[in-house]
Amino acid sequence: MTIGTIYTGFGYWNVYAWVMFFALGALIVLCIRSTGRNDYEKGTYQDEVFYGGNPVPQDGQDLAVPASSSYWGFTKAIASFYDLLVGVHTGILSDYMGLLIATAAVISLLILL
Amino acid sequence: MFKVDIKKELGILPRSIWAFHCNSGSCNGCDIEIVALLTPRYDIERFGMKLVGTPRHADALLVTGPVTKYMTDRLRRIYAQMPNPKVVIVVGNCGASGDVFYKSYNLDGPVDQILPVDVYVHGCPPRPEAIIDGVAKAILKLEEKREELLKTGGATNA
Repeated sequence: MTIGTIYTGFGYWNVYAWVMFFALGALIVLCIRSTGRNDYEKGTYQDEVFYGGNPVPQDGQDLAVPASSSYWGFTKAIASFYDLLVGVHTGILSDYMGLLIATAAVISLLILL
Repeated sequence: MFKVDIKKELGILPRSIWAFHCNSGSCNGCDIEIVALLTPRYDIERFGMKLVGTPRHADALLVTGPVTKYMTDRLRRIYAQMPNPKVVIVVGNCGASGDVFYKSYNLDGPVDQILPVDVYVHGCPPRPEAIIDGVAKAILKLEEKREELLKTGGATNA
């Protein structure tokens, strides 16, 4: 097996170029990081996340803000549609197959008629 | 003739002072004056001073308000999160003495009951010029603390 360059219609991908750019990115990150202060007292509050002066929750779930929060209004506005979609996604394969067959049947009917 | 030793003057402040503001139960009068420092009229950012959003980046802690019981632990934690050397500047009479709230059942303050205060800026609220003066005094205290830390071997690049 040889490691070469993959050409596509839009450009190319080369593992060496990828590694080089990764190393360059890492170097820039390290340069920026080295400008930070290194005199924090380890193992004290100075080492901890600032959480508005409140104790930092130990459970990561309490700290996380899910991405869905950013479009909460959108999902709320069309909640009935989402409820329908969530209801359909049962996680059972035979249900999905049934939906596929039903959709194929409806599309076939539309094409044939 | 008044002579300025520019090397010494510049040596006092290796970099600009950054402040974190904590409202420990203020009526917002002092907070408005602190915000006024950022307006074009006073524009403290031209001196490099600025308000930062986290105590972990701050050299100075600006405290307004008389410290309500709810804020005590939070104020202690915010102070503990600041890197050394650090200074505490109390802005306003409430933080300095409790002022009209000094007999309130809900106070743990004033601020010097909770934290070691370096500079008091009096007024209700104090004028922005007074706050700038307080910050200037805090810079000198900060420099003293920095030198102390350097002498005792406490690494700092503040």
